[in-house]
Formats: sequence, structure tokens, C-alpha cells
Amino acid sequence: MTTPLVQIDMQYWKSPAARDGYRENPLPPGVNRRSFLEAAGFATSLVALGGCQRAPTEYVPVLNAETDNVRPGRARSFASTCGECPAACGMLVSVRDGRPLKMEGMPEHPLSRGGLCAVGQAQTMTLYDKHRLAGPLVATKDAHEESTWQDVDAQIAAALDKAAMTGGAVRVVTSSSSSPTLRHAIDAFLKRFPDGRRVVVDPTSVSAILDAHEQTHAARRLPHYRLEKAKVIVAFEADFMGTWISPVEFAAAWKTGRTLPHRQAAAHHDELHGDELHDEDAQHEAKATATPEDEKLSLSYHVQFESRMTLTGSNADERHRVHPGEFGLLLSHLLHRVAKLAGQSGSQQPFAAASVPSDILDRLAERLWQHRSAAVVLCGSQNVADQALVNHLNHLLDAYGNTIDLDRPSQQRQCDDKAAALLVDELRGGKVAALFVVGVDLVHDLPAGEQLREAIAKTPLSVTLADRMDDSAAAAKFVCPDQHPLESWGDAQPATGLYSLRQPTIRPLTNTRSAIESFAAWSGAAGTALSLVRTFWKDHVFAQQDREPDFTRFWNRAVHDGFVQTSAPAEQDQKAEFTGDTPQFVTTAPARSDLTLVLHSQVGVPTSRHAHNPWLQELPDPITKITWDNCATFSPRRANELGIADNDVVELKLDGGQTLQLPAFVQPGQHDDIVAVALGYGVRGTERFAEVGPQWLESVPTVGDNGRVGVNAAPMLKLIDGTLRFVCDGLSVAKTGRRHVLATTQLHDHIEVPANVAPPGSQPRPIVQETTLAEYAADPAAGAPHAHHVEGELWPDDHASGQHRWGMAIDLNACNGCSACLIACQAENNVPVVGRDEVARHREMHWIRIDRYYAGGEDDPTVAHQPMMCQHCANAPCETVCPVLATVHSSEGLNQQVYNRCVGTRYCANNCPYKVRRFNWFDYAHDDEFANLALNPDVTVRMRGIMEKCSMCVQRIQEGKIEARRQGVPLEDGAIRTACQQSCPTNAILFGDLNDPDSAVAQAAGDARRYAVLEELNVRPAVSYLRKVRNATKESDHV
Amino acid sequence: MSSAATPMPAAAHLPPPPIPPLIGGDKTLAGVTRDICQPLEARPTRLWWIGLALAASALLLGVVSVVYQIAMGIGVWGLNKTVGWGFDITNFVFWVGIGHAGTLISAVLFLFRQRWRTSVNRAAEAMTLFAVMCAGIFPLIHMGRPWLAYWFAPYPNLRGPLWINFKSPLVWDFFAISTYFLVSALFWYFGLIPDLATIRDRRWPGLRTRICSVLSLGWTGSARAWHRYETVYLLLAGLATPLVFSVHTIVSMDFATSVIPGWHTTIFPPYFVAGAIFSGLAMVLTLMLIARKTMRLEHYITSRHVDAMCKLMLSMGCIVGLAYGTEFFMAFYSGNPYEQFVFLNRAGGPFRGAYWTMVICNVVIPQVLWLQRVRANFAAVFVISIFVNIGMWFERFVIIVTSLHRDYLPSSWASYTPTIIEITTLIGSFGLFFTCFLLFCRFIPVIAMAEVKGVLEPASDRHPSAKSGEAA
Repeated sequence: MTTPLVQIDMQYWKSPAARDGYRENPLPPGVNRRSFLEAAGFATSLVALGGCQRAPTEYVPVLNAETDNVRPGRARSFASTCGECPAACGMLVSVRDGRPLKMEGMPEHPLSRGGLCAVGQAQTMTLYDKHRLAGPLVATKDAHEESTWQDVDAQIAAALDKAAMTGGAVRVVTSSSSSPTLRHAIDAFLKRFPDGRRVVVDPTSVSAILDAHEQTHAARRLPHYRLEKAKVIVAFEADFMGTWISPVEFAAAWKTGRTLPHRQAAAHHDELHGDELHDEDAQHEAKATATPEDEKLSLSYHVQFESRMTLTGSNADERHRVHPGEFGLLLSHLLHRVAKLAGQSGSQQPFAAASVPSDILDRLAERLWQHRSAAVVLCGSQNVADQALVNHLNHLLDAYGNTIDLDRPSQQRQCDDKAAALLVDELRGGKVAALFVVGVDLVHDLPAGEQLREAIAKTPLSVTLADRMDDSAAAAKFVCPDQHPLESWGDAQPATGLYSLRQPTIRPLTNTRSAIESFAAWSGAAGTALSLVRTFWKDHVFAQQDREPDFTRFWNRAVHDGFVQTSAPAEQDQKAEFTGDTPQFVTTAPARSDLTLVLHSQVGVPTSRHAHNPWLQELPDPITKITWDNCATFSPRRANELGIADNDVVELKLDGGQTLQLPAFVQPGQHDDIVAVALGYGVRGTERFAEVGPQWLESVPTVGDNGRVGVNAAPMLKLIDGTLRFVCDGLSVAKTGRRHVLATTQLHDHIEVPANVAPPGSQPRPIVQETTLAEYAADPAAGAPHAHHVEGELWPDDHASGQHRWGMAIDLNACNGCSACLIACQAENNVPVVGRDEVARHREMHWIRIDRYYAGGEDDPTVAHQPMMCQHCANAPCETVCPVLATVHSSEGLNQQVYNRCVGTRYCANNCPYKVRRFNWFDYAHDDEFANLALNPDVTVRMRGIMEKCSMCVQRIQEGKIEARRQGVPLEDGAIRTACQQSCPTNAILFGDLNDPDSAVAQAAGDARRYAVLEELNVRPAVSYLRKVRNATKESDHV
Repeated sequence: MSSAATPMPAAAHLPPPPIPPLIGGDKTLAGVTRDICQPLEARPTRLWWIGLALAASALLLGVVSVVYQIAMGIGVWGLNKTVGWGFDITNFVFWVGIGHAGTLISAVLFLFRQRWRTSVNRAAEAMTLFAVMCAGIFPLIHMGRPWLAYWFAPYPNLRGPLWINFKSPLVWDFFAISTYFLVSALFWYFGLIPDLATIRDRRWPGLRTRICSVLSLGWTGSARAWHRYETVYLLLAGLATPLVFSVHTIVSMDFATSVIPGWHTTIFPPYFVAGAIFSGLAMVLTLMLIARKTMRLEHYITSRHVDAMCKLMLSMGCIVGLAYGTEFFMAFYSGNPYEQFVFLNRAGGPFRGAYWTMVICNVVIPQVLWLQRVRANFAAVFVISIFVNIGMWFERFVIIVTSLHRDYLPSSWASYTPTIIEITTLIGSFGLFFTCFLLFCRFIPVIAMAEVKGVLEPASDRHPSAKSGEAA
């Protein structure tokens, strides 16, 4: 250590020893007292300062870069295919931060055309359901135990080897699945077994249609109905817009024939506005229409013959209540008349009189004949003879090739009830060595379920791929849960020539395995679902198209688009020619018992698979408005005769001895001699809903006496003559004296007020306005009640709108009441589920509702559906009364609810003439963290004690505006679509800027059919309605 | 200190009233003091204890109900998406109505020189305060988030431009009720000062004397003090009088300014004021007849008082009846089908029971008061007053619930059934009212001694100088 000669800080020494031996200054060189103190002080103050800061206790990972297709906070849409029913509508899955949140219709899809039904919208609730099975299970003596896929596969493989050696029967039961890859995988799996068969069991079977075509066309096919080409639609019991085959597709097609161009009021109809409709044909038509008097103003004519009031029947121009046993006779009557008109002989024998007057049938036959090749007859009967008559009729009307496509048939159902019946016999006879069940609950959905349960338990190898512990799973040895369609690759073929692809939008939430992978594994050719689907598409679909020469490009395009249209493959290219001989006329009135049971599926809960979805359970049925229950519906007259009132628990008993106890409900418009009960209820596992909704002193459990939601009516079904029958004769009814309150969101509301309190000479309230086509052709403003002229305002507008004024227009001619918008809104806006008791207390939370009104006699009323949500009034009665300014008007014409300012006086709700405000009576459960994954992060979850209501999807408006600003382009009309509008299968709802005269909504608001509900209050709603135009001859027919 | 018993100038110069006398029993000024202070100084009677036990139990029940409701949410009431107000606002309007008679009797009748008011004004004013307290609870607890009730007040805050909505009748209510309560309390307290001094001066040892000596603000009873006192009392009466009419006018505007048929009527302000006075008088009668019997005040509350109150009640009943008829006529005459329906629905719809209860109790039964015989029969008057109370409660129920439950769109029609919580809350409000009233009877002279002394019959009047020490 040398001391530099020249130092800035001189170091002095006391002694030489001290100088050499030790340093008086213990500091390292270059550090002196001063700098030490500086450093120490600095360090001390740093420590002190550091101590002042709150120490971070945990780190929140923040995703701030776009990775792996995830843009933080922004939704991305992925094209996919809905897997909730075999109709396989196209959909766009909106995924945000890795979570699929909102199902939207795919506008480009050739069948569903942008709509998506309530069931499809609600599937996020099924995906994020903690009650789904989390992994494979193996039955032990008492219960099912969790296992691993390796173990399960090994055990199944061992059992299969035995079955293969012994040549025992191997049966794979599927529902009507339209996945070609799954079918292919199953067929490949079955190849190694000498007696291996795939059996389709469809609880909502339409097997008779296929059987009848086998008879008349020598081809067992389900025709593809092209209702968009039909000018006359005659339906027998087919609820084609509610539950029958492909409701969204049919509703969209039906709407094509119900479209009217915009016309201005007669006083100044010099110009006709272009059409708002996204339908190009209709737009062409509208533009071609020079004058309103033009005969282009036409509507399709829809006749419904049905025994119960269905959603479809409620929209018919002409509806007849007929007994389901009479369909054969009625069809014979019609066929005979049409045959006469066609110059054929018709029936040689005289007919018994039908319940529908002869002149009506004459007129209908003439109308059908007049519109031949643009007419179609649909039939929901499961009687093959009835269906054969329908085929004859459609053949005579030249429907095949025009309104019915049999050459490129629908693949949405493959039901074969003969095979199903055979399977049931085999099972009962113990002849099945190995049973695999996919997508159907045999025990629950088929008659004689108890016997099937025992039979399944006795089967040497029973495997079900159920995703929950359903009745069949409880009886089976192995449960190998399938994945949710949103979790896995898959595909569908809704019609010949149309393939639809399904892509996963989330990593599987639990240890489940897709059915495709399971069957591949059991065939010894394990692979991922992606590789299996891709391989199938490479081998089969790619070859059928010629648009893309390269498979990778083809595949990428298919994944992007979600569907591929191909030319039909060779084996299905054969034309199905009509080969029917003379029709088997039914000439006698049917022998039938006093009461007949009609079983049906319900719009909200179409099959037992959907019973676990709380959104669907709380979806009011479009007609009865009942939630959380199935019931026995009676006609008003029959209920009166039997002394039955709503909510009385009745016992239904068939001649065969099957009984069923469930609450009664009086349904106007139902045939007097039937009792209708919905299938798909009373499902095992719905006990979980007992405590849905708030639990307090007077709350009532959501489940019934059986501990489940509703009662299973499947034991009443019958398998007769090779078809599953939903109509059973020989019913007797007895009251039990008990009551079970059915939770309805609406009472039996008539458009007219009750007679005993009606002001003398009062007219029906002009809430739903309607007219007939003839009157409308003569006067575009027909159907308007006397006009209310408002001569200016007393006060200047205190909140003039700025750049935008958002508004809606709802075409009552297009709305069929299907309620898809309810679930769309629920999913978009985090609307809570409240349970049966709260609904019964009239506290449902849906922001949009479909008001269903009856008009005319109770026996055979006309029905109108009217979507109703916040009307965003310019003179909003709610805004003036709020003491704390929690509901205010935006500069864009929206009536906004400020949740965190609301104190909950409910004054606004009282003062709302439309009663669209919803109050949070309790803190509705958001403690299921799994279900909370379905919440839309753009929308606040509301606490108790505050008011909420439709916001016109303000979060979507903001998103649209921000996006337009980001791109530096003006906001385009149609760029913002509200959730209800997006999902509507019939495009009945339009949303847009009323300040933009060219916007579709402004155009619609200028239509002569436009009116506002309760216009006379001068609240100036931003929602317009377009009058309903019925294709009826006389107004008196429908009043 | 010496001349506390100087007759009040307001009443002293008037000619003697016709028979029967206002105050019976040939009372002396000292006797009045003795009679009225006696219940305050004696041990409470068994009857009082029973009454307090009942009232306090009811109050406790109500407190439990309200706590439960605030803990769980408004859902524990039977309200729904269509009927957003039920028992809550019915009780509110009912109690505000009850609270009308006090100020009417003390202020309006004072200005009109109605000397009979002296025996009842103290209790009526106390009743007003307690009724307004009961009323004030309901707007608080009917809120979804009552802990934010202070947002009703226009206080300076840090929320930027956020302020209350002066267009909202609920805000008007907030001001009207709080003003009314403050002025009524002031008026009541002011009227109490000479009596508090009397209690102080009776030198009953203990806390009460000390409290009274503070609260009587050094009252000396000098002529100058009396002069100032009378002036202020007159001014306060003048100030309070418009409030009698404004409070229920504003409460009625909660309904009248809405768009709901059955609510949206211009007749509401006078109709509500008449109804409020009607119900208030009935409640005063009910309470005074009980107090008269249980506290042996037969000489102070005489047939003169009851007769006058009955006549007033009858006239108010007729006004209310006229209003019922006018509503129907206006509905008919308006040609507005929604309005017509609402009134037919009231009389013939699902709540017709409530409607006809209201008509019978408020219009039909009080008609027997035309008979002098009935007015003189205190038992009959008591029963009628109870009926009027019931009828007036149903009137508010009918107005609120029947108008809401079936309004414009039949799709949203619904029914309303109260839950057990709502019923116990109503019982609890009566518990609060009677608990307060019983405590009032126990600690404060139920009859304004100083004022009663002013209306003693000259024949019974002893020489004031002989009694000079009595109030000292």
C-alpha cells in the first residue's frame, strides 16, 4: 500500500509505527469521514424512505403485448359451429382474454344466416359449469370412482378384445349427430367387430319423415326444406321456428317471405326508400317497387294445423286447432282436393267430415295449387302414413326440386326409430356385449327407462361419453366424459354439400376427452381431435371441392370461414325420384279416446341435455312464459270442465298404467281434447338448482317435490310401428289436491283489459298495431289508431342530441317471438339468474322481454309477440323523478343508468310506462367462480339495491366508436350491432343512428308502418315498431 | 316569578263560550297544575307499564325486521318489477298524514282563535313529531342502499358536478318533511317552555328538575316574557300554517307528477291535504280518548273538544269522499281509457277489497257523526276514529298499489302481496309511535297547562294574586 506523493487529503501520522502498522482511519482509501457520513446518511434515508413505501405483497401478471391471438381486453371472433343441437348453425365465438364469452350468429352461413337461437347463445353457461364431469370415472360397487384415461382405456380395450373374440354385439348409440368425423371414427372403431352397429337414438325424432321418403322416393332421406322459396307454407304440428329440425334456418327463411319494402304514408308516397334489409333479394325487390300500389307487396301465406299452441302456430296467418289423430284425414282431404285440381282422380271413397270446415280446405287447396312449385307442406307427425300423404301432396304441388331439396338432403337428423327400437329390445334381452352411448341419455329420454337402466347395468361393457352424471352414466360401467364443443375440434354436415368446422376456443377446462379422440383411441389409432378432423377433411371434404387446389390453404380457409360448400359427393348424387303409387287416403274420422297426451320439446330446454343450463331454465317459454318447470297444459274449456286451474297438480295416467304428476296450466288456443307436456325435464342432477337465487325467510326452492326441475315425461313416450310416438291416446286426468306454483313472467295477458273492469266501449290498447295485407296495400299506414298530434313541445329540448342519436326499429312482421334475444342480452350484459321463486314474484331480471298478447276468443286466439326493452325516451319519465340523478340522458340519446349513483328508490321503475326497469332485489349470486368466467368484463356486475335496464349495449357503441376513431374513418351504419339485434334469426331488430338519414334505422323510422308504443304520452321513445301485417283476407278473421 | 298565572291575552278578552264549558270539574288554576303534573310525579301505573311493554315489543319487532331487511335486501318485501312501492310508501304517506293534525290544531286553530284547541294541542303536536319520525323512517329504509341516504342532501361534495335532482319530487319531499319536522319541533318546544318552567318550579327533586330548568331557558313568567312569548308564538303559528298545506301537497306530487294513470291527477294536492287532516284528526281523537280515560283527564278533554273534532273530521271526510267521486268523474270525462281503466280496476279489480274498505271507512262510516248523539258518545267516536285510521291507511295503499299493478302494458301486470317482514315493519312503526307517545305522557305534561289556564271559565277563576305562588 503506497501513499501517493501528492494527496488532496493529506494524511498525518502520529508515529512511524502507526504510519506503517495500522491505520488510524479505518475507512477504505478514498473514503473519508465526510463521504462516509454522506453515504451513511444517504443509505439511512433510503432505508427510511423505502420503509415508507407499501411493500408489494403479490404480483399481478399484466398481459400488455399481443401474444398468441390474445389482445388484452379485446374480443376476437372465431368462426365455429354450434354444437347444441344437430341443426349445426354457424356461429362466431367471441373470445376475450382466452375465454369464449359470447356466441354470435354467423351472417355468412348459408343456413342460419346470422341468427343464433337461445340455446346456442346460452352454451357458455354449459361450458363454465362446475358440475360437468372433470375426468373419466369407473363404476365400483357403490359409486363411480375417478380414474385416469390410461386405466380406463386399458380396461375398455380388454373388454373390447373379449367382445371381438366372442363376436358379441357392440352398439354405439349416438344422438342425431351431424359430425361426419365422429361418424367416421365410430364406423372405423366398429369395423373390427363382426356385430358392430351404430344406432341413432333421437329423443326429438323425426324418423317418420325419413321412413315416408323411403316409401315414396326409395331413399331414406330427410329433405332439406327451402322455406325461403315458399309462397305458401302449410305445417301440420311442425314447430319449425321453435324446435323442429332447424329452427334458426327456418325462421330466417320464413322471414324472407314476410319482408315488406319501406313505404311512406299515403299522403306523400312520392319516393320509396331503399331497404334496410340485409337480404339482397328483398332489397332488389324494394328498389324495383316503383309505387306502393305495386303487386310486389306480397307476403307468404302460412297455415298451421296444430293441436297445441306452438311458437310457429302463433305466427301463422291462419291457424287451426286440430287433434293430432286427425292429421291423416285432413291431409287426405287436402290431397284429394289438390289431386282434383291437378286433374287426377283423388280418392274414390267418400270422406268423413274433418273438423276444419270444407270451404276453408277448398280455399287452401286452391291456394296451394295456384302457388304450386312455391308451396310446401311440413308435418311433424311421427305417423309414417301421414308423412306419406304429405309426400304425395308435396309431389303434386311440385315442391320437390323447388321448395324441398331431396337431392341434397338435410343431414341434421339421422334418426331411425326402428333401429332404436331394436336396440332397446337387444338391451332388454341382454344381447349386447358392449354398449357405447354418446350425446344421449337413454335411460332418461326413452320410454321404459327403468328397464333400460337395469339392462345397461347388466351389459358386460357399458361406456357412456356423457359430460355429466346423467341416468345412463349412473348405470354405466365407464364414464368417459366428452368435451364441450367450445373446447374441442369437431365438424358438422348440416346438409349434403355443406361442411361446417368447429374449432376450440379455450383449452379444455377439465380432464375430458373429445368423443372423436375416444373412439380413435379405442380403435387403436389414437390421435388428437385436430389431426382426426383434419385427416377426415383431407380425405373426404377436400376432394369434393374445387375452389382451393392446396389442402393447407383449403384447411386454413375452412378454419377461417367456419364452413365449406362443396358439390355433392358421388354416392349421394343419385336423384331421388318420386316412386310413390296411389296414396293411402284416410277417409274415416279417427277413433280416439277422450283425452290424448301430446309430448313435445320446449323452445328453451329442447332436450334433457339442456336442463343443466340456468339461463335456459329461466328463459320464459315464448308462449306460456313459464320458467323453471314443465307442466300439463289444458285448453281453457277442458280445464273448466275438469275444474282445473293453473298450478293445480294433476295426475296424468295412460291406459298402459304410466302416471305422471305435474302442475296444470291453462293454455289458450290448445285443442280441447289434448293435454300437452314438455319433454326434457326432471333431469338427474338438476337438484343442484334447489338453492339457485336468494335464500331468505320466505323463499321457495326452485325445484319441485321430486327435488328436480320439472318432471320427466319420457316414460309416457311410445315406440310403435318403428317410430317414437309423441302422441299417446287413452289419457285420464285426476286432480291431486296439491299445488305447485309455476313461475311465469307474464300472466295470461290479453291485449284487451279484463271485461269486468273494462271501461265501456273501450278499444284494445294500441300497443301492438297490426293490419292485413289488403288494407296495407291500399294504405301504407293502415292499422294506425287515431293519430296523436303533438304541436311542438312546451319546453325547449333540454338535452339535444349531438352527433349521434341511437335508436332502434323493431319489425313486428319479422319478430316471431323465439326469445333468442333474451339470452343474447343476458350473456352480453351479465344479467343474473334469480330462480323460480323470484320469477314467481315477478322479479326476473331480463333486460329485454318478449310480450306475448292474445286477442280474440280464448279458445282460438290470435297471438302477437312484441320485444320490449328500455325505449330510451327523449322525454324520459324515469329521469325527472330520480332524486340523485342516477338515470340521465346522454348526448347521444341514450337513457343511461348510473349504477354507482343509484340509491334504489325504485321511483324510476314505477314511473316507467313500459315497465322495463329491473331492480336488484337481492345480491344475486356471483359466488360460483367457474360460472363467473362467463361474465362480460365490459359490463359491471350490479350489486343489490340498484336499478338496471337495457343500455342499448352501450359498451358495443363505445367499442364501435373507438374503433372508427382509431381507424380514422366515419362510423359506418351497421358497424355497431346490439346483442339482441345480432342474434335475431329474422333480423327483426335494427339499431343505428337516427341522426343519419341514410341509416337503416332512420329509414325504418320513416316507414308508414312505423309507430311508437304509447306515443300519446309524448315520452318520445327512441325505439320504433313497424306494424305487423298479417296475410289475412279480412281484419275480422283475426280480431 | 310571581305572576306566572297571568291569563293569556289572546283568549282572555273573549266572551265566555256557550255551554258546556271547555274545562269541566270547576277547576282552579292550582288544580290544573296539580292535575296535569300529577302523572309525571307519581309512579307509573300498571296500565302504562303494560302499554309500554307492548309498544316496545312492537318496536323491537320492527327493528329486527328492518335490520333483517337491510341485511338481506329489499327483496324481503313483496314488491316486484311492476309494483315498486307497497307497504313502504303507503306507511310513509299514512304517517305523514297522521302528522298533520298536530300543526293544524296548534297553528291553524290558534290563528282562528279556536279556544278548544288548548286541551289537545300539546298531545297533538307531540303526535305530529312522532308520526313524522315514523314517516321519515320509511323513505330511508325503502332505499335499495339506505347507507347512501345522505346523497339526498345537497351538501358540498367532491363528486364534481354531481348534485341532487331538483326536478325530483322525492327531493322536494326531503325538504318538505325535514322543514315540517323542524318547525313542528320548534313550535312544540316553544309551547312547552312555560310548562317546563312550572315543572321546574314545583321543585320535584332530581334530574328532571335540572333538565327542565335548562330547557325552560330561564323562564320567569314576567309580563314582558309573556308578551315576547305570545308574539313569537303567533309568528311561529303563522310560519307553521303554510307547512300544514305544503307537506302533503308535496307528498302528493310524488304521485301527481308521474305518468302513471291513477297517480297523474291534479286533484291530488287538496285531496291529500284533506285526507291528511282527516287521518290526523282521527288519530288525535283516538289518542286523546285513551289518554282521557287512562290519565284521568276527563275534565280537560270534554265533550266540547270531542264534538268540535268530530265536526272537523266529518267535514274532512266529506271532502275526501268528494275527491273519490271527482276522480271517477274526471276519469270518465277525460276520455282517457287508461285512466278510466285504473279507476274501474280499483273498484272491481283484484284489490277491490282494499278499495271498498277505504270507501266504507272514510266516507260511509263517518256520516253517522252528523248525529249529535253519536258525537257525544265517546265509545262510538273512538270506534269511528279507528275506522278512519284504517280507511286512510287503505286509501294510500289503494292509490299506490292499484295504480301500479296494472298500468299501461298488460304484459307487465302483476300482483302484490306483502311479506311477513313488511307487516312486522308496519307493526314496528306503530311500536315506535306508541313508545314515544307513552314516554311523552310520562315525562312531559300532556296538556298545555299555561294555555288551558287561559281558557278556564271566569266563574271558576280565582283571584290570580291568591295563586301567585303556584307556578313559582
